[in-house]
Amino acid sequence: MTITEQPTPDRPVDRLLSGAAERPGLARIAVPALAVLGALVIGGVLMGIEGVAPLSAYGEVVRGVFGRTRGLIDTAIIATPLVLIGLGITIAYRARVFTIGAEGQYIAGALAGTALATAGPLAGLPGPVLLIAGLVVAVLAGSGLAGLTAWLQSRFGASVVITSLLLNYVAAAALAWAVRVGIRDPGSFTPQSRDVGAAALPGTPLHLGFLVALVAVPVVAIVLRRTRFGLRVDVLGANPEVLAVTEVRPAITRMIVLLVAGGFAGLAGFVEVAGVTGRMTPAFATGYGFTAIIVALLGGLRPLGVLIAALVLAGITVGFDEAERAFVIPSATVGVIQALIVVFFVAGDALSRRER
Amino acid sequence: MTEAAVLTGIRRRFGAGHPALDGVDLELATGEVHALLGENGAGKTTLMRILAGLDRPDDGEVVVAGEPVTAFTPRAQRARGVAMVQQHFTLVPTLTAGENLALAGPRGRLRPGARQLQRRVDELAGRFGLPVRADAPVAELSVGEQQRLEILRALDADARLLILDEPTAVLVDDEAQALLDVCRELAADGRAVVIITHRLGEVFAGCDRVTVLRRGAVVCAGEPVADHDRASLAALMVGTTNGAGAPARRTQPDGPVRLRVTGAALRRLQPLDLEVGAGEVLGVAGVDGNGQAELEALLAGSAAPERGTVTVDGAPLPVGRPRERIARRIAYVPSDRYRHALARPLSLADNLELGRGATWRPGKARREQAAAPALDAWDVRATGPGTPAAALSGGNAQKLVLARELAGNPLLVVAAQPTRGLDPEAARIITRRILDAAAAGAAVVWFGAELDELFAIADRLVVLAGGRATEPFTPPYDRHAVGIAMAGGHDS
Repeated sequence: MTITEQPTPDRPVDRLLSGAAERPGLARIAVPALAVLGALVIGGVLMGIEGVAPLSAYGEVVRGVFGRTRGLIDTAIIATPLVLIGLGITIAYRARVFTIGAEGQYIAGALAGTALATAGPLAGLPGPVLLIAGLVVAVLAGSGLAGLTAWLQSRFGASVVITSLLLNYVAAAALAWAVRVGIRDPGSFTPQSRDVGAAALPGTPLHLGFLVALVAVPVVAIVLRRTRFGLRVDVLGANPEVLAVTEVRPAITRMIVLLVAGGFAGLAGFVEVAGVTGRMTPAFATGYGFTAIIVALLGGLRPLGVLIAALVLAGITVGFDEAERAFVIPSATVGVIQALIVVFFVAGDALSRRER
Repeated sequence: MTEAAVLTGIRRRFGAGHPALDGVDLELATGEVHALLGENGAGKTTLMRILAGLDRPDDGEVVVAGEPVTAFTPRAQRARGVAMVQQHFTLVPTLTAGENLALAGPRGRLRPGARQLQRRVDELAGRFGLPVRADAPVAELSVGEQQRLEILRALDADARLLILDEPTAVLVDDEAQALLDVCRELAADGRAVVIITHRLGEVFAGCDRVTVLRRGAVVCAGEPVADHDRASLAALMVGTTNGAGAPARRTQPDGPVRLRVTGAALRRLQPLDLEVGAGEVLGVAGVDGNGQAELEALLAGSAAPERGTVTVDGAPLPVGRPRERIARRIAYVPSDRYRHALARPLSLADNLELGRGATWRPGKARREQAAAPALDAWDVRATGPGTPAAALSGGNAQKLVLARELAGNPLLVVAAQPTRGLDPEAARIITRRILDAAAAGAAVVWFGAELDELFAIADRLVVLAGGRATEPFTPPYDRHAVGIAMAGGHDS
């Protein structure tokens, strides 16, 4: 009797991203695997056009990862934030809450954790205390930024996709300010924070954070499969109105999902600082928050899949870093291949669903 | 008077079950306002959708202005001068009235300017006496204005045969009268107007002839309205036989009061008082849009009453806290089972667990094992408890919902059209189980669309019309009186 309105503002995104958790058995593995393979083949052709023999270049990529101890360690280091953020995104996307704010939450977590760990009044505290406090604050900061997205949605009906994306720019601006003013190391000419010093994660070069990520994988898997919250996440993704009639108000579950996803991204941020960089610089944000979306989707929105996808993408990055030293490969090639993975994945996903 | 359209032997069937239209003949003349009357699901809208090219008949012939119709498309029918204003409007909410007109009937290739559009709207509105604001987006117009715009858009395409589906359902009385007056003028102008309605009042207020449909068949073929009165039309609409003697089941309606609704009002629903005792089945009848949806939401705890209270066994019914509702043993079978009761991509076992179960869940194999007995007991036919609910047929999906909701001896069962769209066997099983729940001490509120069904199961029956409930009817039911009540008999 009145004009019918579409209930979800994010329909195109929804269609694009939603299939991953529902794909049938074989396609779940075949589609991402073929997407990676296809991207590597096209990448090889592109390198051929650039005058590099693709097979030897790929040989160098493989050697770069597996041919030396450092290769595997670097892969694990790069995979760590991807796994942590990817797990959070997995939970969110299973509930069809399509946040793309992980990059900003990652920055927020890193900033908050670093600010605490390098704060003057706390300088005397023992390292482990500072580390744990920093991690907790990082989780809270990531959750806080994600919670803002959730609040904007429940209060004003603002699209999660839009607000989470735009808050990334707020976080990036906060980073630029913080390293120049807020938490700047007064003893340094270049804009950067103090080193977290005693609050660093144990282990060099492979830090304890990788273990944290490895432990998080089964934990998230169990939460999703064996708890009421896990069921609610899937019901929210399947039909929010049923959730409202049988379990709980969808807005509540949506809020929790966003807080958890933000928490993981924030955690990844301070793990990166405490384990790898030691301090914040203007170049701290390198796009892990976006790559982790690819990781979550390639991983079929399943925790174990996320781990595998993160290792594969990290391996490609490390391998190409190495190959770039031996061959004249433009450094953009990795980016092109990652983009191609996404293209092939989306196409393959659509095809596998059409056949049913 | 010449014939505007003649429909002969129209048949249309959707899926299994009773056909929506079972050989319907209808003849519409120019210069008349023709009322098409019938209960929900009688086939009125389906018939008119076919005439407007929005649907195809399985069998039968449609002749418009002397020419047989071969292509059933809205565009082809519009070209022949047939236009339908549907219940759900098809305007673009973000565009203005003029832009909506220009979208439907473009003149030239350029997007017209605001002044040009304003002129177009004003000219049409003035000509037909249907005022519409031209400068605001349609979403900001009142429902009445939106409807007038829909009609203007049809007339802009020079519709000779105008079909209005339940046009007054959304209007206040003055607006409704004005609309009927406009229809009269359009007919005097040599057009044919069809008004689909279930309100007897407006048949007498503004129509020349009336056709009544019941269960997909014509029971009154284009007779002059003057030959009828309210009672005779109500009888035609709902049939004449009374509720087949004694209902299938009679119990002691003197158990303790379980559900007590005191002065509860919500949107369309006017303050309502109800009491339903243990073991009693209260039937709620009425045409869609008269407050059933609101009452359903109140009793299911998905909306709080704007005024008044709803209590179960003396304690307020929990609103917005479904797990508490379920813990209080209040079962809810929603009218739209796919929208409100089932998560289709999830397994049968998971669907059975919704609203129940602890924070920690057993493993998948154990969960499916635990679900198997309930699925067997309800004869939910599927390959196993791990099957997604989307794979179930309508009857099995409803059995799954009931298997969940009726588990654990409910105290109150709120069942909204629990047998809608089901084959007779599934409907029989589901009816049986709900009555068994009542026999075990539950208070049952059954929202029904079919009077025969309600007569067979209800210990008492209230009719909702215009958001108000009648005094309860008791068996043996007087079909006639119920029919008049459903058609808004007690207003004017």
